[in-house]
Amino acid sequence: MKRKIESDVDLLVTNLVIPQHILDDMIAHARELAPHECCGLLAGTGGVVSRIYRITNIVAMEGAQNLSSFDPAKAAHLERLSPEERAEIAFVMDMQDFSTAKKDMRNNGLDLQVVYHSHPHDPARPSVTDIKIATDYEEIWPKINLPIPAYLLISLMHAAPDVRSYWIKSGQVSAAPFTVR
Amino acid sequence: MIKVRIPTPLRPLTKGQGEVETTAGSVVEMIETLNSSHPGIKDRLCDETGELRRFVNIYVNEEDIRFLKGKETSLKDGDEVSIVPAIAGG
Repeated sequence: MKRKIESDVDLLVTNLVIPQHILDDMIAHARELAPHECCGLLAGTGGVVSRIYRITNIVAMEGAQNLSSFDPAKAAHLERLSPEERAEIAFVMDMQDFSTAKKDMRNNGLDLQVVYHSHPHDPARPSVTDIKIATDYEEIWPKINLPIPAYLLISLMHAAPDVRSYWIKSGQVSAAPFTVR
Repeated sequence: MIKVRIPTPLRPLTKGQGEVETTAGSVVEMIETLNSSHPGIKDRLCDETGELRRFVNIYVNEEDIRFLKGKETSLKDGDEVSIVPAIAGG
């Protein structure tokens, strides 16, 4: 009975629910890859996260001129950096990993809820690039059969990690509070 | 005709168009045809060996070609193709 009430409540509120072990896993992922950025996906149902997918950050592997997510100015800037330096300030998801995760979600009846990445040296809020790419992506999600996710940032700039999530819609950023349980 | 949706970062190659039309019997053929009308697009989608780059996905009618027959996935009149750049940020 309790379970039913909880699921009804989750349908009414937009708050995300992230299990403690998944939160811990994301922070561990960020720390493992520091000083480089990590990235991944959280999936679940009705805002309740139940699965984490770590995705490879391939920004260090490719010349930035081909990174087609970035606008030419940003790509030109990234191109001047070494692969190591690029990975400290940017992430690009490996779309093979992404496809595998998407297939697993579909097979398990889960929806995409969150796209996460880390900011090893910066605060847990979306950068100008994050906002621009998320805004460009708004028209893509429905075409690949996925809901618009929340964006979660893990900052490692202080000793205690700071984790915050946001909605990014039409270039506007708003807090997407989550509860841990 | 096959409709191909072009993501924002590739639109400079299509004179700003978000959607182009083409004819092709497969994804690999579509990439070649697009490259003739919009030179440079193939390099953005494929690596030196012709494989799809790891930061690009192509969807045919909302299905990922990596789960169909990859670049050999066949296309027919009326299909809708979406070129999807990697999720990224900084």
